[in-house]
Amino acid sequence: MGGSKAIPSLLLASVVLGGCAAHQPASEQALEAARVSFQAVKEDPNVLRAAPKDVIRAGESLGRAERLSSYWGSAEDVRHYAYLSQRYAEIARQHSEISLNQERAAKLELERQRLLLTLREAKLLSVQQHSGWLEEQMVSLATSETERGLVMTLGDMLFDAGRAELQPAANRTVLKLVQFLQINPQRRVRIEGYTDNTGSAEENLELSRARAQAVADLLVDLGVDPKRIQVVGYGIDFPVAENASARGRAQNRRVEIVFSDERGQLGAER
Amino acid sequence: MNRFLFVLLALGLTACASDPAPNEQLRLTEQALTQAKALGVDGEQSESLRLAEDKFVRAQAALQDGQNKEARLLAEQAELDARLAEAEHLNGKGREQLAELNHRISRLRQQLGAM
Repeated sequence: MGGSKAIPSLLLASVVLGGCAAHQPASEQALEAARVSFQAVKEDPNVLRAAPKDVIRAGESLGRAERLSSYWGSAEDVRHYAYLSQRYAEIARQHSEISLNQERAAKLELERQRLLLTLREAKLLSVQQHSGWLEEQMVSLATSETERGLVMTLGDMLFDAGRAELQPAANRTVLKLVQFLQINPQRRVRIEGYTDNTGSAEENLELSRARAQAVADLLVDLGVDPKRIQVVGYGIDFPVAENASARGRAQNRRVEIVFSDERGQLGAER
Repeated sequence: MNRFLFVLLALGLTACASDPAPNEQLRLTEQALTQAKALGVDGEQSESLRLAEDKFVRAQAALQDGQNKEARLLAEQAELDARLAEAEHLNGKGREQLAELNHRISRLRQQLGAM
């Protein structure tokens, strides 16, 4: 409320100064625009609920502008308070949108949780139907110890050629991964995509990243906190076999999952 | 008495610079600007923040020149411009969050549909 004290002297100044600035239609336009904005926020229950103070200030500033508009030489002040009124109205409108979106987000989050549970149950069921799930449980994740820490490899057959979507065959491995991450809440993973050397390097880089991202997305969908997941695409770099044979190329097309230590410390990227 | 005061004031007023120096308002404006920037609003993206920064600089210059009223008007506007920049920024973040949630939900639906 920086202006409230200044009002009497402003009024005096405008009376005394008389012609400091002539009364211009521009100030009348600004006043009209402020009236329209204020009217809109005043009648919107959501805005009133989200930002009552800003609506009140918009009204006060508008009132000030209205009063000043009857004085000579106050065009600048009218425009000023009309501007402030419009700003307050716009701020109120933004806050109303923010809180409406927060409410929407809370509802969607519930919906997401519900779908997540359904999906998890459905996947479990499908895995159980497909094979001896319990036996599978006994077998640890197919990992290998490397200088980068524990690394798990998702092979080529889990993706169609040139595509980034995971095939249903990946469900079991991914579920085991999710389970492992639930049991080890401190651990984090880096998902690294790799390709063979067919095609352009840029396309392969893009594809490797998209595939790693697809695995990450599925983990997130199944409830793993995105903050625990890093995604990197390496394209044709770091092949594990020669690219000369079809077999070698298939080995090179892979997604590797690097696990952090128990404290969540991941090894450096390559 | 009132009339006497009025005449006295009227005589005393020689220029638009008769307002007190709006130091408090400039402090408030600076605070609003700092807060907006701390939230990650930047002038590249936010027209409102650019306005606020520009007016704040002009308000400081006006204060230097003894144009106290000019300084106050600019600083008051700049404060609200900065607050609007902040609200717009938060609103944008909220919209992004909604879009992300919707995206995740549609992905979940897609996966459920594929089973």
